[in-house]
Amino acid sequence: MLTETLLSGEFEPPSAADFQFAPIFGDSILFSKPVFLVALSVILIASFFIISARKAAIVPSRLQFAGEGVYSFVRNSIGQDVIGPEFMRFVPFLFTLFTFVLCNNLFGIIPFLQFPSMSRIGFPIALAVFTYVVYHYVGIKHHGLKKYVKDICFMPGVPKWIYVILTPVEFATYFIVRPATLSLRLFANMFAGHLLLLVFTLGGEHLLASTIFLKILSIFSFGFAVGLSFFEFGIECLQAYIFTLLTALYIAGALADEH
Amino acid sequence: MTGTMAIVGFGLSTIGPGVATGLVFAAYINGIARQPEARGLLQPIAFLGFALAEALALIGLVLAFVLK
Amino acid sequence: MAVHDEGAFWSIFGYLLSGLVIWGGIGHFVDRWMGTHLFFPGGLLLGISSSFYLIWMRFIKAK
Repeated sequence: MLTETLLSGEFEPPSAADFQFAPIFGDSILFSKPVFLVALSVILIASFFIISARKAAIVPSRLQFAGEGVYSFVRNSIGQDVIGPEFMRFVPFLFTLFTFVLCNNLFGIIPFLQFPSMSRIGFPIALAVFTYVVYHYVGIKHHGLKKYVKDICFMPGVPKWIYVILTPVEFATYFIVRPATLSLRLFANMFAGHLLLLVFTLGGEHLLASTIFLKILSIFSFGFAVGLSFFEFGIECLQAYIFTLLTALYIAGALADEH
Repeated sequence: MTGTMAIVGFGLSTIGPGVATGLVFAAYINGIARQPEARGLLQPIAFLGFALAEALALIGLVLAFVLK
Repeated sequence: MAVHDEGAFWSIFGYLLSGLVIWGGIGHFVDRWMGTHLFFPGGLLLGISSSFYLIWMRFIKAK
């Protein structure tokens, strides 16, 4: 009650409406901010790795060292450790996925851009569809369609009548729940993180527009926003890593001889 | 204010499983750090504890969507 | 090896979720269709027990 009387106007908390952008030009939703951010991320990633690899030398420059660091991280600690001997086939896919998700997530805390494009559900769904197609294709090619589906749906060493209960659960896990949780995990983390930052920055802005006592309090709100930006940096890197790691684990599961 | 109390109930019901999952992981990491060769022994126990704790959170999620 | 642990934890989460959603959902729709109130809790119980059975067979007994 006290704060309500102190504040000059009604505070409108940020909501899902803050994630809708008007088109920058024209009427089509295709020309709104998230789409431009995704296009920008492609340009940034491509130019960074082209420049860092163009003057490749035995004694690497600082830029080449950074590029090779990202590559060898994905290749060794995601590809080789998880997938095993056949990992080299999947490194381009995993590397593209990791850098793309990482760059788009980091847009959430870069000043003036400040919008993680993965907080629009369409982009994570598209990436999860890629993963879904890849790991099922790999599994079917490796085992043959009949054996692959049989391995997933019918667990050995179980009485026959229990299959009636277990098979729907297994089928749903592999074909529905896995891609759905893969995209939802990334989306929900980015959405919640951006909303959290919006709460503190918009709240601070609102406090700044009222009485002198609340103006002082707005320092804490902005301070929290800055602190949480560092926290968000960690979350964004972690989510890019987890997305790529789970993709690699699903590919490894599809290649394994027994599930 | 609009919305259902079921969502508030789900929020409250996640506190317990959240703490429980944290405790399971803490004990698992502690055990491996002290005795790395005991990993094979600890792993199934950690899986079981995680599953039991997580089941409660998921029952809360399902009930929050269904109960009006 | 730690990454395989993480994959196993997410798989356990997926099994629990899909068991509850599939059998709870079937029970829920049977309840709507028949006008009863017993199939939904029964479906939840069946779902959670089938998930635990799967987790037991895949992750705990195999170790």
